[in-house]
Amino acid sequence: MIQHLLHISHVSKHFGGNVAVSDVSFSVEEKQIFGLIGPNGAGKTTLFNCITGFFPATSGDVIFDNKKINTLRPDQVCKLGMARTWQRVKPLGSLTVLENVMVGAFSVTSSTREAEAIAQEQLKVVGLSDYTTKSAGSLPIGLKKKLELARVLATRPKMLLLDEICGGLNHTETDTILDIIRSIRKKGATIIFIEHDMKAVTSICDQIVVLNSGEKLAEGTPAEITNNPDVIAAYLGGGHHA
Amino acid sequence: MKQIAFIAAIAAIAISLPLVIGESPYFIGILISLLMMAALSSAWNILGGYAGQYSFGHAAYFGAGAYTTLILLTLYNLNPLLCMAMGVVVASIIALITGSIVFRLRGHYFGLASIAVAEVVRLSVLNFEFTGGAQGILLSDVVLWDLDLNSKIPFYYGMLLVLAVTLAITAYLRKSKTGYYLQAIREDQDAASSLGINISFYKNKALLISAALTSVLGSLYGLYIRFIDTSAVLDLRLSIEIILTAIIGGVGTLWGPVVGALLLVPLAEMLRSNFFGDMLINAGLVSETSGVGMFLKDNLAHAHVLVYGIITVLCILYLPKGVLGLFRRKK
Repeated sequence: MIQHLLHISHVSKHFGGNVAVSDVSFSVEEKQIFGLIGPNGAGKTTLFNCITGFFPATSGDVIFDNKKINTLRPDQVCKLGMARTWQRVKPLGSLTVLENVMVGAFSVTSSTREAEAIAQEQLKVVGLSDYTTKSAGSLPIGLKKKLELARVLATRPKMLLLDEICGGLNHTETDTILDIIRSIRKKGATIIFIEHDMKAVTSICDQIVVLNSGEKLAEGTPAEITNNPDVIAAYLGGGHHA
Repeated sequence: MKQIAFIAAIAAIAISLPLVIGESPYFIGILISLLMMAALSSAWNILGGYAGQYSFGHAAYFGAGAYTTLILLTLYNLNPLLCMAMGVVVASIIALITGSIVFRLRGHYFGLASIAVAEVVRLSVLNFEFTGGAQGILLSDVVLWDLDLNSKIPFYYGMLLVLAVTLAITAYLRKSKTGYYLQAIREDQDAASSLGINISFYKNKALLISAALTSVLGSLYGLYIRFIDTSAVLDLRLSIEIILTAIIGGVGTLWGPVVGALLLVPLAEMLRSNFFGDMLINAGLVSETSGVGMFLKDNLAHAHVLVYGIITVLCILYLPKGVLGLFRRKK
C-alpha cells in the first residue's frame, strides 16, 4: 500500500475577498520529491504557509503523518517533523553559522553539546563546515540558502518544504543544492519543492502539481507536465523561465 | 582560564572595596546605587537584550518588590526574606498577566503595553490606602539575623550578591537552549517559529526571570532606603534609566549593563553634586560670583537627565552596539 505522508484536502485560503488558494487537493507519498510550480502569485508560498501553520487555511484539511495539523502553530508543526525554508532567506543575522544551525538542533535535544554536534554534522552535509564561526548575516546569498537547508535538517524532519531554495543561485550552486536534496531523500526524508527553475524541477521531481491563480491546474510526472497544453499556455508559454 | 581570572579579579575587588574605602557612607551609598543599576540593567537585558523585547516598564516589577516587602513588614513584621519572596510572587503575577496578553502581538506592542502596565501599577499604588498613597511607606526598623541593618555594608553585599546571581543566570542562559531560542526570537520571529520555538512561551519565560530578579532588587532597595513612594520606586524615569544603562554599555552582552552602570552612575552623581560646576570654579576658570558661575551652580546639578539624553543620542549615532561594541572584534 502506498503511504501518504501528507494529504492536502480541498484547502482554500482567502484574504478578505482575495482568494489566494482555492480548493487545492493533492497527496505526497513518503520519500517522494514533490514539485509545486506555477507563475508568480499562483499561491505556492501561501499554500506552504497554510501547511506549516503560519496562516490557518480558510477551509479544507491538512493531514500530516495521519494527524490533522490545520490548527497547529508553526512550532508544533515543526515538532511533528515538518520543516520549511524561506523564499526570502531568514538567517539569524547576529548569530554565527554554527549557532543558527544549533537553534534548529535544539528542537530534538536540550543539551548544548549535542546541539553543537548535530549542527556540525549538518553543516558538513551542506558544505559549510569552513564557515562555522562567521556571522550568518555576512554570508553571500548562495551560502545563506545552504545555511537555511542545514538549519532545517538539524530539526531532523520527516518532510522538508523548500521554498525556492535555488532562487537567485547560479547553475553550479543550483546543482550543488540539488545534489544535497537527492542525498537527503536517500536518507529517508520527503521533500516538497517550490521552484521557478523548470530545469531544476523536471530533473529532480517525481511528481509535480501546477498551481495557477490559486487553483490546481495539473498534476503528473515531469514528462506529463511539460507536455500538458494547459500548463504550457499558463506557465511555460514564455520560455523556460516564466 | 583568562576569563576565570578576570572574573575572580573583579569579584575580589568588589568584595574588598568596602574594607578599602572604609565606612564612608557617602561612597558606599554611591557603590550601592551602582551595583543596583548594574543588576537592574542586567535583569532587563535578559528580556530586552537577548529576547529583543524592550520593556519600558520595569519600574513596575521593582516597585512590586519594594512595596510588597515594606507593606508586609509594617503590617505583619514577617522575615524580610519571606517578604522578598512574596514580592517575587507579586511581580511574577504582573509579568504573567502582561506577557500572556501582549506577547500574542508582534513588534512594538510589548514596549507600549509595558509602559501602560507600569502606569496602571503606579496609579493604583498612588490611590490605594494600604499602599500609603502619595505619602508612601516608612519603615522604622528591620531585623534580619544579627545584621546591623543601620549600616550600609550589608546592603552593599546584598546588591553585589544579586548582581552576581543575575550575571550568572545570564551567562548560563546565553549558552543554553533557552538563551539561543531568545536570540533566535530577537533575530527573526518567523524563522524561530518555523524551527520549533514556541514564541510566546519563551518570551514569557524571559519576562518572568527578568521581572523576578528586578523585584528582588526592589525589595532590597526598600529595606535599604526604608522609605518608598511611587516617585522613588515606580517612576517611568527609573524604567528609562535601566534601559539607557544597558544601551550605553551594550545591549545583549553579558557585561554591557555593568559597564553602562560604571559609566552612568558616577556621572549622574558628579552632576547631582555639582562636581563639574565646582571644579570649574575651584580651578579659577569661572568666578563663583559671576553670572556664569551662578548659572552653573544653580543649574548644572539638575542637568543630569539632559546629559543622559545627550550621551544616549551620541551612543546611538556613534556606538550603536554600546561601549562594549568598541572592544568586540568583527567576525
